[in-house]
Amino acid sequence: MGRARKPVQIIILFVIILLGGYAIGSSVFGGDGKLREGGKAPSFELLGLDGLTHTLDEYKGKSVVLNFWGSWCAPCVKEMPALQAQWEKWKEQGVVVVGINVGEDQMTVENFVKQVDINFPVVMDTGRDAVRSYGVSPLPTTFFINAKGRVDSIHIGQLDLSTLDDQIGKLVKP
Amino acid sequence: MKERTPLITNTKCECGHQNPVGTVLCEACGKPLDREEQLSSGNLEMRYDGVARRSQRVNPGVIDLVWNFFSSVKIAIYLIVLTLLGSMLGTIFPQESTFLNIDASTYYPEKYGTAGEIYYKLGLSHTYESWWFVLLLVLIGASLVICSLDRVLPLYKALTRQKIRKHRQFLTRQKVALVTELKEEPEAWVARMVELLQKKGYRVRTDGAALLAEKHRFSRWGPYVIHIGLIIFLLAVLARGLPGLNMDQHLAFPQGDTVRIPDTTYYLKNEKFTVEFYTEEEMPKEFRGKKILPKLYETRAVLYECTANCTDPSKEPQLAEVARHNIQVNSPLSYNGLKAYQFDYDLTPVLRSVQPELINAKSGEVYGKFKLDMNNPQRSFQAGLYTLSLKEKYMDFGLNEEGQPVSKSPYPNAPAFLFLITGPDLPAGGQQYFYFPKQVDKEKFQMTAINDKLGGSGRFLELEVGGMSDVDFSESTTYLNIRVDRAMPFVWIGAGIVMLGLVLGFYWQHRRIWLAANHGELVLGGHTNKNWFGFRREIVSILAKTDLTVDEKSLDNGGGLA
Repeated sequence: MGRARKPVQIIILFVIILLGGYAIGSSVFGGDGKLREGGKAPSFELLGLDGLTHTLDEYKGKSVVLNFWGSWCAPCVKEMPALQAQWEKWKEQGVVVVGINVGEDQMTVENFVKQVDINFPVVMDTGRDAVRSYGVSPLPTTFFINAKGRVDSIHIGQLDLSTLDDQIGKLVKP
Repeated sequence: MKERTPLITNTKCECGHQNPVGTVLCEACGKPLDREEQLSSGNLEMRYDGVARRSQRVNPGVIDLVWNFFSSVKIAIYLIVLTLLGSMLGTIFPQESTFLNIDASTYYPEKYGTAGEIYYKLGLSHTYESWWFVLLLVLIGASLVICSLDRVLPLYKALTRQKIRKHRQFLTRQKVALVTELKEEPEAWVARMVELLQKKGYRVRTDGAALLAEKHRFSRWGPYVIHIGLIIFLLAVLARGLPGLNMDQHLAFPQGDTVRIPDTTYYLKNEKFTVEFYTEEEMPKEFRGKKILPKLYETRAVLYECTANCTDPSKEPQLAEVARHNIQVNSPLSYNGLKAYQFDYDLTPVLRSVQPELINAKSGEVYGKFKLDMNNPQRSFQAGLYTLSLKEKYMDFGLNEEGQPVSKSPYPNAPAFLFLITGPDLPAGGQQYFYFPKQVDKEKFQMTAINDKLGGSGRFLELEVGGMSDVDFSESTTYLNIRVDRAMPFVWIGAGIVMLGLVLGFYWQHRRIWLAANHGELVLGGHTNKNWFGFRREIVSILAKTDLTVDEKSLDNGGGLA
């Protein structure tokens, strides 16, 4: 029979392995589209309280603590002082704390920031785009993103000063 | 299935043709190659015309072994049966993928008890996305491709290189066979036959007094066309997982609002949502007073596409209308592969803005009117000589554990506003004033008492809404299911090709007649892939025209024909 037989067989088997591997792979790893620890942090483009558009790429090379919050959520309010304290402690070492407000208007966010007295960057996710791409359901949820842009760990619920300190420490010196 | 061919076999036929390993009938003359088979008188094995399948070879290597595994129809049937059994498991309880807002980990044990818990723990709540199910589909796909290639190429070669003159045994051992006396001159008789066969749609080739007539060979490709269709179908289903090819989300559209559809450049506006119910008179007696049955759900929807400033949140996006449709159940808005289906509704009104007047409660004098939006309100308002600066805003007013005013949710369920009013006859630092736009909240939270406390006894200013014309609210919210399925056309193409293959394979039969006339004897062999009865009748009717009367049953050479 044909001399091209063996290479053709190899090519067909290879294509089957490739497609099959992709199909099985996507059903095993993150087929549901949820962000997992170790995964790449999705980019966002959101309006900040300073009136400028902020993206995740701006903080490239820095460790990012991404905190999703809402003014109506009591644990979010309670963890704000801890975030502020750690932001002041770590900002010189290339760590940036970014607060993402979920679905509220500028006035609410401004008043809140004034009231709890924080000065780390705060952006507003009015369309809940980042909420969707990060797969956030309960608030607060905090993502610890390393300098390479990968999610190091995800914390759901209120953070206290010491866990936050530990997490950031791990993020800076892995 | 066929047993393996012994390692060393003489594959050279007595006609001189060298056949590949695994050949059953000589590729040239059609004589059986196996010695035992030569001595037998039963029907010949005509599958794939007796040629060797591609995978049959001596000393198979690793790749050949893998190839052979997938080329086996037995394996394919096992795979299909396993997939069927697996699919059945997925139908025992509802699948997780059909839930919108249900926590699967608690749903199954609560609803179905221990069985439900086991079902969930085994991962059967997402059977069709599980790795083993996908693996089975991949294996079936591989089997489809390899089985087809392994058979279609040798078969194609065998059918295009057919010899007219075949071994006598090849003819007499067909399932349709006839050996009879021929009084006429052979060549002249064959020439008459050619014409008669051609009239019946046969393509006829002759070699002296031998003849090969054949029709509807394309029907043999039917199964392979089906396989191509199935492979396209499987690939299309696989491609649905690629980003951008498939989207399925449920979104809320308050009446009058334009809402962005995430992950697209589209915006959809709900101009008006209507729900109508059947009146008592319209319903059958049994339902009256017991049931409320909806008659119509309709969302007047306008679809916009963003043309500029689409991703920059600091700028207003520019929208251009691209489609408009009154969405009803089973009548979605459809534009460029995007479909919006009516899914749900909520008739709770949502407050958007109010236009209160600042009045003097004592004299009744009206100082001015302003518009107060619930979302992104202005920070400062002017009402006559008075300036109202908005200090605090609560969407869902309440008090926290420490008794401080907070918003309990981001939704305008109980909006409240704290103003600082400055102007004539007020203290130098201004006067604080709490305003609840909703009447229920005014009473619930005792607005007058709060303001008396804030403004003291000399307080004379009040904010009041004149009438309903000064209140803007969204009457209802419609929920639409937004879907994009760009792989769907390929699923249909695949299904269409499968259908074509089925028609090819089922409605036509590949019929072949071999004839050899010599020494006053006529030998006829016939083969078809189905409808043997019709085939025999056709042969009898053709022979009758040459004054050869043959009993239809005498053509039957046994072998359980249909």
